[in-house]
Amino acid sequence: MKSESEALFVKQLKENQNIIHKICRLYTTDADAHKDLFQEITIQLWKAFPNFRGDSKFTTWAYRVGLNTAITLYRKKKRTIDTIEFDSTFHKVTQDDYNFEEEEKLKLLYSAISELNDIEKALVFLYLEDKDYTEISETLGISEVNARVKMNRVKGKLKKILNP
Amino acid sequence: MDELEILKKDWKKNENAFDQVTEKEIYGMLHKRSSSIVKWILIISVLEFLFLRLLDLSIFLDDEYSNRMKEHHIYDFEKFVTIFNFVVLLVFIYYFYRNLKAINSSSSVKKLMQDIINTRKIVKYYVWYNLVLVGITSAIVIYSQFMYDKNINHLYDKYQLFFILGGFFFVIIILLLFWLFYRLLYGILLRRLQKNYNELQKIDF
Repeated sequence: MKSESEALFVKQLKENQNIIHKICRLYTTDADAHKDLFQEITIQLWKAFPNFRGDSKFTTWAYRVGLNTAITLYRKKKRTIDTIEFDSTFHKVTQDDYNFEEEEKLKLLYSAISELNDIEKALVFLYLEDKDYTEISETLGISEVNARVKMNRVKGKLKKILNP
Repeated sequence: MDELEILKKDWKKNENAFDQVTEKEIYGMLHKRSSSIVKWILIISVLEFLFLRLLDLSIFLDDEYSNRMKEHHIYDFEKFVTIFNFVVLLVFIYYFYRNLKAINSSSSVKKLMQDIINTRKIVKYYVWYNLVLVGITSAIVIYSQFMYDKNINHLYDKYQLFFILGGFFFVIIILLLFWLFYRLLYGILLRRLQKNYNELQKIDF
C-alpha cells in the first residue's frame, strides 16, 4: 500500500536529494558506487523515518543519517577499496571557466580527501556545506572542541599534500 | 588561498550538477526489500540441498540399506534418481542465485517487477519438481517393497487390492507432508514477494 508517510518521505527526499548526492560524491569515486550509496542512504533514511518527528529539519536529519550510513558502509568496505581514481565525468566543468592550474589543484584536493578517514571526510563535508562547529558537533556526535581539533588536523593534512 | 576555500568554491559551483532521481526511482529503492526475500530463498534452498542430499547419499554408505535396495531391485534406480536430482537441484540453485543478482542490479520498477515474477515462477517449478519426484520415488519404493520383500510379498498376492489402496494413501500422505514442508518454507517468502509486487504495481503509474 502506498501510505501517506511513504508519499511524504519520497517527496521530501526528492526535494532534498542533493544532500545525499553530495555525501555520495565525497565518499565514492565512481558512478556505480555513487548510485549504490545513494540507494543505501535512501533505505536507511526510510527505515529511520518513523523516528523522525519533525522537531529538527528534514535536511539536518538527512545529513546525520546520510553521513552515518556513509561512515558505517565505508568502514565495512574500507579494506576492499585500494585503488582510488578520480572520475572526471563526475566533475563537471564548463570549457570557459577551465583553469588548468586550479583544476590540477582541485584534482589533488579531491584525491587527498579520498585518502582521509571516514570521520575526517564527514568533517570536510560539513565544512563545505557551511555548517558551524555547533552543527558539526551535533551531527557527528562529537564535542565542539574535538571537531575544531580534528578540522585543523584535516586542514594541515591537505596543506601538506598540496605543498609537499 | 586556503585549500579548503578553493574546494568550497568548486563544491558550490557543482552543487546542482547531479543527475536528479525521480520519485518513481525512490519508490523503487524503498521496495528493494525483495532482494532480501530472494536472498532467503537462496539460503534456504542451499541448506535444504545440503541436509536432504547428504541424507540421500548416506543411504548408499549404509551397507545394510544398500543390500536391501539390491534385494528389492531398486538400487540402480535409486542411484540414478539421486544423481539426477543432484544435478537438477544445482541448476535450480544457480537460477535462484541469478534471480538474486538480477533483483540486486535492477534499476527500474518495471524490471524489478519482472524479476519478482521470474523468481516466483522458478520457486513454483522447484516445489513442483520436488513433489513430483517424491511422489514417483515413494510409489516405486513402496511397490518394490510389496513385490520383493519376503515378509510382505505373499500377503500382497493375497490382498492385492488392499495393498494397492494402502500404498496409494501412503504416497498421498507423504506428498501432503512434503507439500506442507514446502508451503511453510517457501510459501511465506513467496507471499511477501507477492505483497511487494502489488505495492510496486501501485507505484508504476
